[in-house]
Amino acid sequence: MSEPILKIENLKEWFPVRRTIAQLLKGEQIWVKAVDGITFDINQGEIFGLVGESGCGKTTTGKLLMKLLEPTDGKIMFKGKDVTHLEANKLKEYRRNVQMVFQDPYASMNPRFRAQDVLEEPLIIHQVGETRAEREKIVRRSLEEVRLIPPEEFMGRFPHMLSGGQRQRVATARTLVLSPSMIVADEPVSMIDLSTRAEILHMMKTVQRELGLTYLYITHDLSTARYFTDRIAVMYLGKIVELASADEVIDNALHPYTKALIAAVCEPVSGKSNTGRSYL
Amino acid sequence: MKWIDIKAGFRDFWDEFKRVRFGLFGLILLFIFILTVFINPYIVPFPEASSRWRDITYWEDNPVSAPPVWVNWFSSTKRAPSLILKEHDFSEEKMGKIKLARAVFEYEYPYDLPPLDVIFHGYAKGSPVIMLSIERPDGQIVELVRRPISKSDGKDVRVSIGKDSRIESYNFGVKYEKPESNRIEREMVKPTSILFSEAKEGILVHPAPLKGVYKLIIEIILPAENDAVEDIYFTFSGGVSGWLGTDSSKRDIWSGVVAGVKWALLIGLLTAFTAVSIGVIYGVISAYLGGWKDSLMQRIFELFIGVPLLPVLIVMSAIFKPNIWIMILMMSCFFWVGPVKTVRSMGLQIKEETYIEAARAFGASSSRIIFKHMIPLLIPYSFASMALYVPSAIVYEASISLLGLGDSTIVTWGQILHDALTGGAVINGLWWWVIPPGLFIALMGMTFAFIGFAMDKILHPKLRTR
Amino acid sequence: MTDTDNVLKVENLKINFFTRKGTVYAVDDISFTLKKGETLGLVGESGCGKTTTVLGLMKMVPTPGEITGGRILIGGKDIVPLSEDEMRKKVRWGKASMVFQGAMNCLTPVYTIEKQMMETIQEHKQMEYFKAKNIIINYLNLVGLPEEIIRRYPHELSGGMKQRVVIATALFLEPKIVICDEPTTALDVVVQAQIINLIKRLKKKLGLSVIFITHDLATEAEVADRLLVMYAGKLAEIGTNEQIYGKGGPIHPYTKKLLKATPRLHEKVEELSFIPGTPPDLVDPPSGCRFHPRCSEVMERCKKDEPPLIKVEPEHWIACWRNHHE
Repeated sequence: MSEPILKIENLKEWFPVRRTIAQLLKGEQIWVKAVDGITFDINQGEIFGLVGESGCGKTTTGKLLMKLLEPTDGKIMFKGKDVTHLEANKLKEYRRNVQMVFQDPYASMNPRFRAQDVLEEPLIIHQVGETRAEREKIVRRSLEEVRLIPPEEFMGRFPHMLSGGQRQRVATARTLVLSPSMIVADEPVSMIDLSTRAEILHMMKTVQRELGLTYLYITHDLSTARYFTDRIAVMYLGKIVELASADEVIDNALHPYTKALIAAVCEPVSGKSNTGRSYL
Repeated sequence: MKWIDIKAGFRDFWDEFKRVRFGLFGLILLFIFILTVFINPYIVPFPEASSRWRDITYWEDNPVSAPPVWVNWFSSTKRAPSLILKEHDFSEEKMGKIKLARAVFEYEYPYDLPPLDVIFHGYAKGSPVIMLSIERPDGQIVELVRRPISKSDGKDVRVSIGKDSRIESYNFGVKYEKPESNRIEREMVKPTSILFSEAKEGILVHPAPLKGVYKLIIEIILPAENDAVEDIYFTFSGGVSGWLGTDSSKRDIWSGVVAGVKWALLIGLLTAFTAVSIGVIYGVISAYLGGWKDSLMQRIFELFIGVPLLPVLIVMSAIFKPNIWIMILMMSCFFWVGPVKTVRSMGLQIKEETYIEAARAFGASSSRIIFKHMIPLLIPYSFASMALYVPSAIVYEASISLLGLGDSTIVTWGQILHDALTGGAVINGLWWWVIPPGLFIALMGMTFAFIGFAMDKILHPKLRTR
Repeated sequence: MTDTDNVLKVENLKINFFTRKGTVYAVDDISFTLKKGETLGLVGESGCGKTTTVLGLMKMVPTPGEITGGRILIGGKDIVPLSEDEMRKKVRWGKASMVFQGAMNCLTPVYTIEKQMMETIQEHKQMEYFKAKNIIINYLNLVGLPEEIIRRYPHELSGGMKQRVVIATALFLEPKIVICDEPTTALDVVVQAQIINLIKRLKKKLGLSVIFITHDLATEAEVADRLLVMYAGKLAEIGTNEQIYGKGGPIHPYTKKLLKATPRLHEKVEELSFIPGTPPDLVDPPSGCRFHPRCSEVMERCKKDEPPLIKVEPEHWIACWRNHHE
């Protein structure tokens, strides 16, 4: 694998808990350690999985990378540059490079925007494309990239006029219009029907290969992670407990938490093989 | 948004709106109000009422403090209504160089009380002599006025029987009265009441109406070739006048009230629009910024909301003597607080939506998020609350005008009420001067309240469920 | 098999929605039975009519929907003609109760758990406060929640805990049938597994019959004794757990594809297969077999005639012309 595109060192995000008067007087402060010192690298062109239960800090990590939150401590290096704290103009440039796909495609699009407006918005924000026609060309191209063909048919639709899968395709297309180098995908398929889930993952993978993108795939679902990712980091209570290649993590899990997580997954196999398992 | 989407959205809204009956009622009222603004010249006798409300010459042919014409329907003594009489027979005779023109106006008089005045109008060129006489149904002809006109290239001639024929009519009446009645002062008797009464004893003291057809005869001597009197007509300032009577300055109240519709709509809508726009933007910005900025903006808002509006407006009006635009601005300055609290709480909700976060992740600026993503969602609410602020704006303007602090160049319902108050309408029982403007204020308020409530009812559940 | 074994029998159920766009045939002529003590899985893509079917069973189809035909026999009695009032008093919660989709949102945020549960009890039964409270605590213990939870507000509980509260609420009046509509969809894997185990345990302990709805075939494999596969308002396949997930595997092409699209943890595949296209618009469903536009094994006959549900082996029914031998 090539150089790491993203390096995270000892990243922390602590949220202060509102203090009582007594605590205030004593100068005590209790913290919720959502992300508590994590370190990992993501290589160029890799799909990196971040797996864990809700509340383990995986979404917070994603938001930290998107710079939607300011980290308490630690360092984020993107393409060799320190991007931990950025000024407004640098931040805008960084956001051109790093995009995000949200869990609920329906909620992540303004219900009053047509697909075309949704896709055009990042272009307008970043002043890409001089004219409307030029922007429309880019929009059309990204729609084709996510296999919404012909694009004209979908450009005029509002989010509620699209099916779940189409919506997530539009959401993915939106991240592609600025031709970023990395995409943070936060549970991109958990709200999507099983029959289309594979289709979306397949599409995302194809786009990744074609455009040489890097993904950070955040999920609680180990089965899709195994299929989709190259490496998996298992997160538990704000810390990474296990990090290895996808097959390694699932076939030869070492950490007890990873083992428990694997045991909890339902398999479409008959015979009630899983009855009597113990859960966390 | 494409036009077709707006149309579809509007159709959905309309489908629901149709079902709220009082909203529909409000809409009909609003439509009528707007219609009156446009057809104003066709439904009022004095279409320039708005611009010449305080010009006494515009109103001089009207009676003073006359009740509305429909009072006749409920009263046993019928009063002659105000009237303009244009139809006449015209004949001309040439006597050498001099021309003699004669015009006869027929006036049917079936009433019990005579008009207060009968006025002749014409436009004279040169130096004609105008002679005015009346032929009564009993055959008597009374010569009333003989007026030579000084030479001019053209000027308006106005001859008032009530003022200019006091002696002639008195002399006509006094013949029938007993000698002891002679002590009745000439100035005390109205010419019209003599001329339209039976020629018998008591004509000066207890006149009995002489019903029938009267002929008003105008004879004009035109000494020169080019001399002429054109556009001749009579106006009768009646005992009853117009749909809503007249005030003590002879102004036609119906014309005034209708002229006020335009101003009421303007004041109400413009104030509501400005105020709600400011309020919505303020509320959204406050919600979006959050933190100490939000707190500061909320404290400022509370400062404004704590100000007692009416006293402040009264003091400011008294100091600045504002015109209507300044007044609208002043009201907007205090009205904007209305929607802030609700909008802020809605904004806090919208702010948490994922698509706002998504826009931020794409690097959208705060102003883009506020104006592109948040405010469009609040537009339905804004319209609903706008409708609810219209009545209060109208009432506040009326209150200030009532105190005589309004813009004196226009006519608003509040000013009509103010004039009624100072003109002693209440003491003198001139109810037709007080009730209509008050009623119109209430009606306009009701219109917008109905529309506003209906919109509120439809749009709110939608907002909650997105 | 006699009728007494069936707690629930549905015959030719039809539910239509009368919308402005036209009539939506959401559930079109469906028959099935629920045996005593079994878990019946109901799978299908979203919009295939799973939820509408079970709402129909509770007679809670939202307007403009309506049950337009068929019978629903609970304990041998048809409930379709019952009035709303009778439904509430006799059937709902007493005989059959429901755990709704996104159950966590069913709890009112301003009430404590005790108050919400108390309300449900007293809605159906006159009871003194302490007795009712005892029942609440009993059921909370049964679903594995501590007693102190009754004083908490919904926002203080995790998703899994809320789901347990909702399940406990569904059990109050000791119904024989419990319908779970996607109870695990919004939950994490670990919590999902816990809830599945809880439902299994409760079923055994209380002798419940369960209808378990989900779009996830993997979950269904874990809980269901028998499976109903629905597609576009119709039944595609009925079979036992063994028949669907065992060696033989499913027969209907739709079920086959659905199963293939389900990712397996312990099997590395290069490409997941998926079903191309989208489910049909139920205002104007395709002619013949409703699956034919997306089916890879389509024949001429599929486009014209609607396949009937036929028995291929004991307990195993499918609606496909491929396996129709006359």
